[in-house]
Amino acid sequence: MRPIVEFLRVTRAYGSRLALEEVSLALWPGELTFVVGPSGAGKTTLLKLINREIRPTSGQVWVDGVPAHTLKASRVAILRRKVGVVFQDYKLLPALSAMENVAFALQVGDLRVSDEEASDRARDALEAVGLGDRGDAFPHQLSGGQQQRVAVARAVIAQPRLLIADEPTGNLDMETAWETMKLFEDIAAWGITVLIATHNVEIVTRLQRRVLTFVEGRLVRDQPAGQIGRMAWLASS
Amino acid sequence: MQVVATNIVRYLFGGAARSWARNISSTAPALGSMTLLLLLSGLVGLAAFALSNLERTEASQASLLHVYLTDNSNPDEITALQSRLAHDARVASVTYVSKAQALQRAQSIPGVPQLAGASDANPFPASLDVQMKSIDDVAAVDALVRNDIAVDPTYPTSYDKGAYQRIQTVILGLGVAGFVFLALLGFVAVTVTVNSIRAAIHSRRDEIRIMQLVGAPRWMVRGPFVVEGAITGALAGVAAGIVTFGLVMLGIRVGSASFAQFAPGITITVGALGAALVFAAGLGLGSGSSLLGLRRHMES
Repeated sequence: MRPIVEFLRVTRAYGSRLALEEVSLALWPGELTFVVGPSGAGKTTLLKLINREIRPTSGQVWVDGVPAHTLKASRVAILRRKVGVVFQDYKLLPALSAMENVAFALQVGDLRVSDEEASDRARDALEAVGLGDRGDAFPHQLSGGQQQRVAVARAVIAQPRLLIADEPTGNLDMETAWETMKLFEDIAAWGITVLIATHNVEIVTRLQRRVLTFVEGRLVRDQPAGQIGRMAWLASS
Repeated sequence: MQVVATNIVRYLFGGAARSWARNISSTAPALGSMTLLLLLSGLVGLAAFALSNLERTEASQASLLHVYLTDNSNPDEITALQSRLAHDARVASVTYVSKAQALQRAQSIPGVPQLAGASDANPFPASLDVQMKSIDDVAAVDALVRNDIAVDPTYPTSYDKGAYQRIQTVILGLGVAGFVFLALLGFVAVTVTVNSIRAAIHSRRDEIRIMQLVGAPRWMVRGPFVVEGAITGALAGVAAGIVTFGLVMLGIRVGSASFAQFAPGITITVGALGAALVFAAGLGLGSGSSLLGLRRHMES
């Protein structure tokens, strides 16, 4: 089985500062993985490298067989159709309804999708995240948790191979955060690889999924699912 | 195929039109400076065309020596002079112009028909129009023929070498000044347009980011801004084209009413063609400036 994401001795520098240093890892289909570490540990850099927002200074980044480390700017769209992205601040377009936000992402990524098909698939995606009855609502009419669910629906509507989320529960209360995490577990169960960067200790320890711990740009620990212990570093971050 | 076309129209052109309307306040300076640039370019272009026609006419006129014949000269004397000139190596051609032909030619000059009509007799003399191969030989041939028996001793010849040289100097000066002025104005227009595109990119940054992250093709993310620039350029081109054409029409009408030639070679057709070129230049300038703005201000 081929990994969905593979890092081979990846280093990324910003000037003289190393954001990631000699990182090697692999993520497998249907796996839900947390990326944890103190601020500045390199979590966001890792996600940006996967989505080819930046390129590594050295090493190789492979995403579903696509070499992100050598991919030209004109070919980036090919890679990004394989990757769904969820942000802490949702990034929904305020002038579009929930359903339009989801359908928009589908259509601009694939111009062959008709309005009817986009609407049907957007409705299905919203139903899957529990918002089947709020499709006509605009972002400002939705709660934070509901907006994050719309963002998740938008990220998965094009059926990506991988979903990456940068602090997706950062703006949510604990109850809503748990609902969102349940959603990510469901998505992983569909066979989509899910990678979540988070500071939330409780979620990471209770879900007992694979955890990659970064400190100062280095991958210091790779704990398989079910073997998650205490995370002392989080107390001080 | 129809679905793809519909989506392209919606996201490329529809999105650009909506964005243009939304950003009208930041686009207005670009529209104004571009209109001014295009208008002045159109007028300078037409002036250059007229001056080039004038130069051509003057060059031809300056190397054309009119030898005026006395009314008392007989045909043999005229033929002898014509033959002598025709065999001169410096002469390109010699054409006999009768008094009747001279009158007819004069009547095509604005205002002259009225003057000619005031007299019962034909006041215009017969002449030999001597077209020289080089403007530098006009003076020598003039000296050769002015004492001929067939030539009018009072007003023997006419040519205007000095005027031609003065016009060349003026045209060169105007050309350099016009080029520098338009280059400066062009720089301002492009800079202002690039800044307006920068503002448009900023106001749509979330939409752009989402489009980029969901895998929208690069041309689809950037295309609306090029279309947006083209809309600005097209509107500026239309405005400048209409004003250019209107000024040409006004000039032709005023010139015709005052028996003066407006500008050599400038006709309604030339005015319309100039307006069309101004419009096309607007489209090019708008979309080109947008591309420049995208290269500078949009991340991939």
